[in-house]
Amino acid sequence: MASLRYHFAILSAKATRLALRIMGRGATTLPGKVAVKFDPMLLKKLCAGRDCVTITGTNGKTTTTHMITDIFRNCGYTVVTNVSGANLLSGVTTSMIFGLKDMKKAEKEGKKVICVLETDEAAYGKIACQIKPKVSIVTNLFRDQLDRFGELAHTRDLIAKGLDTCEADILLNSDDSLVSELYKGREARTVFYGLSEESMHYNNVTYPDKSGVLPASSDAEYCTGCKTKYTYTARSFGHLGAFSCEKCGKKRQTPRFFVKYDLSKNPSDEGYELSLCDGGAKEAELEKRVKLPIPGMHNFYNSIAAVAACVRMGEKIGDTEKLSFEKCAAALEHVEAAFGRMEKISIGDKKICVLLVKNPVGLDRALSFVAGASDAEGIYMLLNSNIADGKDVSWIWDVDFESKEFPEKVYVSGDRYGDMMLRIVYSGVEDSRIIAKPMEECAELLDQAISDSTPGKCLYILPNYTSMLALRSILVKRYHLKDFWK
Amino acid sequence: MGNNEIELRICHMYPDLLNLYGDRGNVLSLIRRTELRGIKAKVVPVSIGDDFDENDFDIVFLGGGQDAEQNVIRKDFVEVKGPKVKAAIENGMVFLCICGGYQMLGNYYQEHDGTKIECLGAIDVYTVGEDVRYIQDTIYEAEFLKDPEKNDSAVLYGFENHSGRTYLGPSVKPMAKVIEGAGNNGKDGFEGAIYNNVYCTYSHGSFLPKNPRMTDHLLCLALKRRYGEEYELPALDTKVEDLARAALLRYKEKGNTAP
Repeated sequence: MASLRYHFAILSAKATRLALRIMGRGATTLPGKVAVKFDPMLLKKLCAGRDCVTITGTNGKTTTTHMITDIFRNCGYTVVTNVSGANLLSGVTTSMIFGLKDMKKAEKEGKKVICVLETDEAAYGKIACQIKPKVSIVTNLFRDQLDRFGELAHTRDLIAKGLDTCEADILLNSDDSLVSELYKGREARTVFYGLSEESMHYNNVTYPDKSGVLPASSDAEYCTGCKTKYTYTARSFGHLGAFSCEKCGKKRQTPRFFVKYDLSKNPSDEGYELSLCDGGAKEAELEKRVKLPIPGMHNFYNSIAAVAACVRMGEKIGDTEKLSFEKCAAALEHVEAAFGRMEKISIGDKKICVLLVKNPVGLDRALSFVAGASDAEGIYMLLNSNIADGKDVSWIWDVDFESKEFPEKVYVSGDRYGDMMLRIVYSGVEDSRIIAKPMEECAELLDQAISDSTPGKCLYILPNYTSMLALRSILVKRYHLKDFWK
Repeated sequence: MGNNEIELRICHMYPDLLNLYGDRGNVLSLIRRTELRGIKAKVVPVSIGDDFDENDFDIVFLGGGQDAEQNVIRKDFVEVKGPKVKAAIENGMVFLCICGGYQMLGNYYQEHDGTKIECLGAIDVYTVGEDVRYIQDTIYEAEFLKDPEKNDSAVLYGFENHSGRTYLGPSVKPMAKVIEGAGNNGKDGFEGAIYNNVYCTYSHGSFLPKNPRMTDHLLCLALKRRYGEEYELPALDTKVEDLARAALLRYKEKGNTAP
């Protein structure tokens, strides 16, 4: 019997949403925030007895969450998930409250329900104990707004705290030295996913294709245990790869779920194929050839993480039939990109593609993607420094722009357009190729960039968080695109 | 001597460990404003276990790192490379040190709980860690960059992000006056330190790209030291950097655009 407190909390959330809607505002976090005031353990009650997956880490959370959601749905489940970015206690609670109706309806019809919850890496430690996930993914740890979150080791410790408040099966990225050491003391419930070491090794020589003037600022080059520099036999990108410490013996663990790939074809291209593998099957290793649903090499990791999560959940809840490796991998192919995550949008006979970039590794991957995209004709970069973006924009200098080929036409805006313009010029792009305008003129600059582009080619837009929000409303208002991403 | 025979040798100290908040951009600036003048630039990473020989370099860059990383290098920097670094500083080698690198050149760093961590003691400054962190855009004014022909020549733009408060001893001069921001310790109105040819600042951000006259000042010092006082740094405009500075000033005046 649910308490009075619980019902009050739910009611207050509904009232808050109604009020926000009347004011014409979105209601992705405030209702939960209000509800938690009435019942601080509300999320625990909402998640009790349900099958939850959590996704945390610095990069790839939203895409992985989105992929898992689509796979479960394609496999016949009802899914409750949170809106991108609403990944703190308030946002997760809001999503669960307004998912109640769907969950109850599905349960009445005898359908299974799964909750797929993206959780902020700094907040995970506090909310995992309420969610009690069955499966918990840690994607990676890259530097991200260090001014807000503090150090990476600290973030990792917060995640560790969360893992110890639940009994979740833990899915860890085997290629990230910081993430993979979370398995210590949690061996029995840890499963690794990553890229095949052979593929990485084979592609070491061909990727990245061009070396820069100065290596990018890297994270985690030294063993956290004995402070010796890691040796790598192969790398994928950033500090991800087949690392080992010669002194203390710490090394990359062989992943159960892995990706075999070949970079002689370009993962920026649509239709790029790769093999997803499950080495944990009793008989032979399982391998499924699939089309990468969302382009870009970083999506190798997101794809295998998503499939691994669904398969593990199937094993956990005894539904290995519906959630077999074969079926989950096949379902991945039907995942579609979300706004700001490489989705191509047609505007008349022109095309734009928005890639949200929030931190150095994200920007590195996005620039590398654009450099490899055969249809890239223009790039439009926007840099803001609101609190949600991080006040500090210095991270753009940590990224290796120097090794990336820029499209012919370069447009720059955002409150910090001067910083970004200078960054691009310092990488070697002639300033005559760049048009830079302040944020107030970003809509006119978008018009110009679209009108400058050739049909059949694509304008790649790389905003950071709040400039993406601005861009989204510009697209809705000026180009009458439906607000379909909500 | 033709410019093509001239070369700037940059020592990038601990680039794999001290590489926070865009400090890498400072090295890119040194390279860019050297190469645009037709002068060769060579960057050599010098990390843990690598030998540091001052005769191999004209300028040394030392950035800041996360605490974990700074603990990794402390022994190597203070005990192994320490004596050679000190000697190089006394011999007039040009250094640019940011944040953690600045603190490590000093006498000690006192942590919040009172524990004193011994640092190199190459320059007479010490740092006390406090709870409140200064995180903000900064503006300074540096006397030594004043150019009567150019209005804002002495103005330096930066971004500070530190919880340490640094205090200077009598042999060390502050690098600049604080116009906006906290500076060394939030109290005395000064920022950074100069000792011989060592320039220290809390300014990340990156510091040099937005302050090309500071870049040129360091290049000039380094090349004169190598090629003699008569060496003249070829002229190079600051057109792009000035555009970025104007944009920055505009941002400072207007603030953020709400999304």
